Amino acid sequence: MPAPEAVFRQDFSVKGGDFAKAGTVACRIKELLKDLGLDAATVRRAAIAAYEAEMNVIMYAWEARVDLAVSPDEVHITVDDRGPGISDVELAMTEGYSTATPEMRELGFGAGMGLPNIKKNSDILHIDSRTGKGTRLKIVIRRNGHGAS
Amino acid sequence: MNGKNFHAIHITKDKCIGCVHCLGACPTRAIRVRDGRAVISDDLCIDCGECIRVCPHDAVHSHTTSFAALDAFEYKVAIPSTVLYGQFGGTVLPTEILSALRRIGFDEVYDLSSICELNCAATEEYLNEHPRPRPFITSTCPVVVRIIQRRYPSLCGQILPIEPPREIAAKILRTILPKALGIPPERIGIIHLTPCPAKMVSINSPATLNKSYLDGAISIRDIFPQIISALRKSEEDALMRHLFPETQFSGIGMGWSLSGGETRGLKNHRAVAVSGVVDTMRVLDQVESGLLQDIDVLECTVCPDGCVGGPLEVENRFLAKSRILQLVSAAGERAVVDPRDVSRLYHRNFLSFDHPATPVESRPLDHDPTKAIRKAARRDRIFAGLPKKDCGVCGAPDCRTLADDIVRGQARLADCPFVEPMGKKKEKR
Repeated sequence: MPAPEAVFRQDFSVKGGDFAKAGTVACRIKELLKDLGLDAATVRRAAIAAYEAEMNVIMYAWEARVDLAVSPDEVHITVDDRGPGISDVELAMTEGYSTATPEMRELGFGAGMGLPNIKKNSDILHIDSRTGKGTRLKIVIRRNGHGAS
Repeated sequence: MNGKNFHAIHITKDKCIGCVHCLGACPTRAIRVRDGRAVISDDLCIDCGECIRVCPHDAVHSHTTSFAALDAFEYKVAIPSTVLYGQFGGTVLPTEILSALRRIGFDEVYDLSSICELNCAATEEYLNEHPRPRPFITSTCPVVVRIIQRRYPSLCGQILPIEPPREIAAKILRTILPKALGIPPERIGIIHLTPCPAKMVSINSPATLNKSYLDGAISIRDIFPQIISALRKSEEDALMRHLFPETQFSGIGMGWSLSGGETRGLKNHRAVAVSGVVDTMRVLDQVESGLLQDIDVLECTVCPDGCVGGPLEVENRFLAKSRILQLVSAAGERAVVDPRDVSRLYHRNFLSFDHPATPVESRPLDHDPTKAIRKAARRDRIFAGLPKKDCGVCGAPDCRTLADDIVRGQARLADCPFVEPMGKKKEKR
């Protein structure tokens, strides 16, 4: 990231279990990126990644802070949650793998595409998880990056 | 009149008193009050007509075709929206309404329900041939197309590229009538009768055609008095039309103007229908976030309950809807279009867009990314100091929009009546 004055930052909070507000943070991030003049394809990748990350918090964690940092070339989305953590990150990255409850599946969630979708739409994805404590996702999306879906 | 910035919605300056009703109702925050009058931004207006509904002073005017303007044509053809059938109470049949239109001066009148059925069959064929992407979004509502071009540009490729029934009908007539009648094409006027101002925009600056096949759109509200008086004068005609209906109405197409009506006839595809401008934008947000991929086709109409809730109709939409449902139920599943005709037209690309809808340039805070970032941060600081009462006294619909206008150089902090003069100095320019 370049010098602080060339970076736009905003943070948001997400509450676990708050399905009624599902997607609002992703939407606000999308609006901001459009205001900042990012191209439509980059905005869409960021919107998809942010939405999936937000939904993971709502479905599995207790609460999270989402930090958005935008420079002229990159979008960084960091999601820091307090929650159960992911015991096997590699398994969680497998398409179709999900620990969603039957209730969540009834709502149409839990297809096991969350993390794989974030990976597909981002240029860098770091997952740092501690069981019983929480998970930190670091997502980087580059303008005109390769992660286009 | 033609061109990118054509709008059907205008403020009548001497009627507007500069109140705030339209400010809050506008879904794209396109209206400001400046010097005591509402002003609509050409860049932001999507011609949805929400402001027409809420203006207590009748100061929002929609620019549709006048009946008198039809005198320019030697031969006048009307293709009314099926919404018209719901405007005249519970006993007047569509066939009487079409006949009344002839009596008030149209040389020929064509029912759209059959073309709606044709469109539905073509949609089915398109979905069969194109398994991806999902969902496709229908293009009947011109406002939805305009919202996608401006706010959801990445979804332009998901607009289902079959022209809506009004354009298909006009194209068919434009192809056939000049030869059949021996009248030059430019002297035949093909006019849509519409419950919404946005059709006028799609005629004047089409998003997916090189040129519209329609010559204009008359508002149902404007033409209603003439139709009603023609209906009153002719009991014998009514009896004749009841006994010898001239047109076979399509059961599949008759409910087209009700939300869900466009996709009701699809046999093998999963459709979701959304109506209302706020809900439409909410669902498009979800699609842009990668959701709803298990849906084949998304039908969005920005008027509540579908076109039947258009701002330029006369009957209240609940009664109109009830009447149309009666007609739908009377027509049953009656199909009037031969699937082989549809297939032929479809494969000749007769029903397709001329070109895809393209994104309309968005309005970033600044075209220089570094400056845009600085402006966004400044906008946050300004917003933090505003009262968040969203009162509209400054002329902007809400505090967030005022902050946005300020960083774009279109308003001043002093416009806010709540900000103390001291506060002005705190904000660095």
